Amino acid sequence: MPLALMILRRLFWIIPVALGVVTITFFAARVFTGDPTELYTPPEATDELRAQIRERLGLADPLWVQYGKYLSDLLRGDFGMSFTTGLNVGADLSDRLPATLELGLVGMVFGVLAGVPLGVIAAVNRERWPDFLVRGVTLGGMALPQFWIGLVLIWIFFVTLGWLPGPVGRLPIGVNPPPLLTGFLLIDTALAGDGEKFRLALRQLALPALTLGLTTLAPVARVTRASMVEALQSDYIRTAIAMGHGRRVVWFRYCLRNALLPVVTLIGGVAGHVFGGAVLLESIFGWPGLGQYALQAIERSDFAALQGFVIYASLLYVLAFLAVDVLYMLIDPRMRTP
Amino acid sequence: MSAPHILESVAGHDATADTPTAPPSPAVQVAVPTRRRAPLSWSMRIGLAVLVFYCAVALLSLVWTPFDPLSPGVGEGYMPPSREFLLGTDRLGSDILSRIMAGARYDLGITLVAVTIALVVGTILGTIAGYYGGTVDIVISRCVEVFQAFPGLLFAMLVVKAVGPGVLNIILVMSFIGIPDYLRLSRAEIRSRRNWPYAEAARMVGNRSWQVAFRHLLPNSAGPLLAFTSINAAFVALVTASLGFLGLGLDPNTPEWGSMIARGQDGVMTGEWWLSFFPGLAILGMTGAFYLLGDALSDLTDPRRRR
Repeated sequence: MPLALMILRRLFWIIPVALGVVTITFFAARVFTGDPTELYTPPEATDELRAQIRERLGLADPLWVQYGKYLSDLLRGDFGMSFTTGLNVGADLSDRLPATLELGLVGMVFGVLAGVPLGVIAAVNRERWPDFLVRGVTLGGMALPQFWIGLVLIWIFFVTLGWLPGPVGRLPIGVNPPPLLTGFLLIDTALAGDGEKFRLALRQLALPALTLGLTTLAPVARVTRASMVEALQSDYIRTAIAMGHGRRVVWFRYCLRNALLPVVTLIGGVAGHVFGGAVLLESIFGWPGLGQYALQAIERSDFAALQGFVIYASLLYVLAFLAVDVLYMLIDPRMRTP
Repeated sequence: MSAPHILESVAGHDATADTPTAPPSPAVQVAVPTRRRAPLSWSMRIGLAVLVFYCAVALLSLVWTPFDPLSPGVGEGYMPPSREFLLGTDRLGSDILSRIMAGARYDLGITLVAVTIALVVGTILGTIAGYYGGTVDIVISRCVEVFQAFPGLLFAMLVVKAVGPGVLNIILVMSFIGIPDYLRLSRAEIRSRRNWPYAEAARMVGNRSWQVAFRHLLPNSAGPLLAFTSINAAFVALVTASLGFLGLGLDPNTPEWGSMIARGQDGVMTGEWWLSFFPGLAILGMTGAFYLLGDALSDLTDPRRRR
C-alpha cells in the first residue's frame, strides 16, 4: 500500500503549496502594481464613476477583506472575474488550456523521442564524432534563448523557404475552427473527419512545436548521454557483454532501462514548466493559449487572471513531480521497499 | 553531540542523515592527499577563454566602439552587413556591432552580480538550514517549495513591471529567483556531511557550531556549488534576455541583447534577419561558455564522472 499512501500524502501537500503560491501572487500583484482602476476608467470620468468602477472591480475593500473573499470564492471553485475579458477566469483558463496543452504535448513528445536516441548514440560513441556532434547541438539548444530559436525557425521555414505558415496562431486567418469537442484541434478535426483542416492545424503547429521540441531535446539528450555513459561502465554491463549478448541488446535492453531514471526526473521538470515557458513561446507564434493570457494579465494588472494562471502553473508543477515519483516506484523495484 | 552518536558515525552508520550517504570509502580518502593536478579539460579552457573575451569586450565598449551604440542614424536603416557596418544596422540606423559590444556590459554584468548575490545568500541560508535542522529547516524548506512551484519568469516579469526598469532592479529580481536553488543544494550538501568523522572531530576540539558549518563543512561543498553556479549563470543570462525581449527589463533603447532581438522581430518577417540574428549569437556564446565551464567543474568535483 505504500504507493497509494505516498500519492495521498503528496496530494495533501499540494494544499499548502497552492495556498502559498496564491498568497504570494495575490499580494505581490496588488502591492507591486498598485491600483489598476485608472487602466479601466476613461480619463474624463467623474470621481463618482471612478469610485463605482473601483467598487465593481472589487478593489474598494481593504486588502485583507479582498484576500479573504478571494480565498473563500476559490474554495468554491470560483476564480473571480477577469478585468479584461469580463468573464470568469476559470472559464477563460479552460478555454485556453487545450491550446497550450496541445502545443506542449506535441513539442515534448518530439523532444523526448529525438533526445533519448541522440543521447544513446552519443554515449556509445563516446569521444568520437557522433558524440561531439550531439554535444555541440545540445549545447546550442540549451544556450540559445527559446524565443530566438523560434524567430530563426520562422525566418528559415516561413520567410525564406515558404514551406510552413507564418506565426498567426492555431489556424490560418479566415479558417473556422472545427466543432468544439476536446479543444485539441488535431483531435477535433480528426473526429470531424475534416482532413483539410487537420493538415492546416498541423502545419500551424509545426514551428512552435519544433521550437519547444528543440529546447526539450537538448537537456534530454545530455542527461541521457551522461547517464548512459555511467551505466555502460558498470559491472552488470561488462558481464552482459562477456556473456556474449549482442551490443544492441545490451545497450537498449539492459543499459538504457537503467539509465532512464534521471531522464524521467528531467522530463518531469520540463513538463512542470510548460505553462511558465508558454509565456514567451506563445507570444512569438501568436498562439492563443495560457501563456498569452498571462502576459496580457501582467500588462494590464488583471489580478484574478494572473492568480488563476499561477495556480494552474504551480499545480502542473507539483503534479509533474508527483508523476515522476510514482513512475520511479513503478520503474525501479528498489524504490518500492520501504 | 553525545558520545554514542560519534561512535555510530565513525562506524559508518548514520541514523540521522536524510540521505544514506556513507562516509567516504577508503579509496577516496587515499586519493585526496595526493596532489596530482589534472590537466585542464578542453571545455574548461574554451569556457574560460570565451568568458574572458566577453569581459574584455564589455570593458572595451566603455572606451571604444566602432560607432556610438546609442545614437540612431549613424547609417541608414536596415543596412545589411557590409564592410562599414560589419553586422549591419537596425531600423533606426544604429550600428549593430557597437550595440552588441555595449550589450555585453548589461548582460554579462547583470548575470555576474545577480549570480554572486544568489550564491552568497542562498548558501548561507542553506547551510544554516542543513546544519541546524529542526524548525528553521522546515520553515525554510517549505518556503523554497512554494517559490519553486512559482514560474520564475512570471515572477520576474511581475516584479520588474512593478518596481520599474533599471539594471539594479533586474539584478535584485534575478538574484532573488536564484536563491531557492542555491539554498536547496547547499542544504543537501551540508546535511549529507554534518555527521562525518571530520565534522565530529571539528566539534570535539571545541569549534562552535557556526565554525563547523561554515569553515569545515561548507568548503567541502564548494565544488558542486560552483559547478551549479556556472550553470545557473547561463539560466540567469537567458531570463535576463527574456525580460529584455518582453520589453520589461530596461529602457527599450538600451543595447541589451534580448531587447535588440525584440526590436528586430519585425525585420525577421520581412527578411532583415541580421537585426535579431547576431544578438542571439552573442547570447549563445556567453551562455554556452557558462555551460561548458559548469560541465568541466562538475567533472572535476564529481569523482564518478572523472573516469
